[in-house]
Amino acid sequence: MKRKKTKKKTGFGLSSKSNLLAKKNCPLSKKNEDEINYKNLKLLKKYISDSAKILPTRITNVSHSKQKILVREIKRARALALLPYVGN
Amino acid sequence: MNIYEHTYIAVPEANKKDIEQIEKKIEEILVKNSGKIHKTEDWGLRSLSYPIKKNNKGYYRNVYFEGNKDAVKEIESFEKYEDKIIKYLSMKLKNLPKEDSELAKEKN
Repeated sequence: MKRKKTKKKTGFGLSSKSNLLAKKNCPLSKKNEDEINYKNLKLLKKYISDSAKILPTRITNVSHSKQKILVREIKRARALALLPYVGN
Repeated sequence: MNIYEHTYIAVPEANKKDIEQIEKKIEEILVKNSGKIHKTEDWGLRSLSYPIKKNNKGYYRNVYFEGNKDAVKEIESFEKYEDKIIKYLSMKLKNLPKEDSELAKEKN
């Protein structure tokens, strides 16, 4: 009887973990979020590393569709010398 | 007809007259190709992230216009051989933005 109880507990734990995973949402897909634009340097600087590389989605949690737009806009900003190609 | 956004960087030594001349030339090309300017933005003198043609600073200007691909081609070929311009970029847009950009606000 005691063993069964512990099993139930672990089951509960797993489901709560899956809930946590579902909470990891894309930070750019929220409502009222600013438009991703090459002129919005404040936003773009959040998604590049110190050496000016574009951060992967596995770190930033940006959705695939938004990441495609983000990459395009960062490259536009680089072409106009608003952002660097290489950092420190 | 499409909506385009065109940004160019002028040399830091350029004075008001030079920039006015460039602006006039762009307008001329657009009128010739039956296009029109919707809006121009001045981002002022900004420091560049990396030196371009030995310049560390540049005057940024931004133009929104309606036109066809020949107008864009002609503007770019004019800017390529203009000594006062160090870099340019034109982009196709779906809609015109309603508000001024962050960079234009920064200047004011």
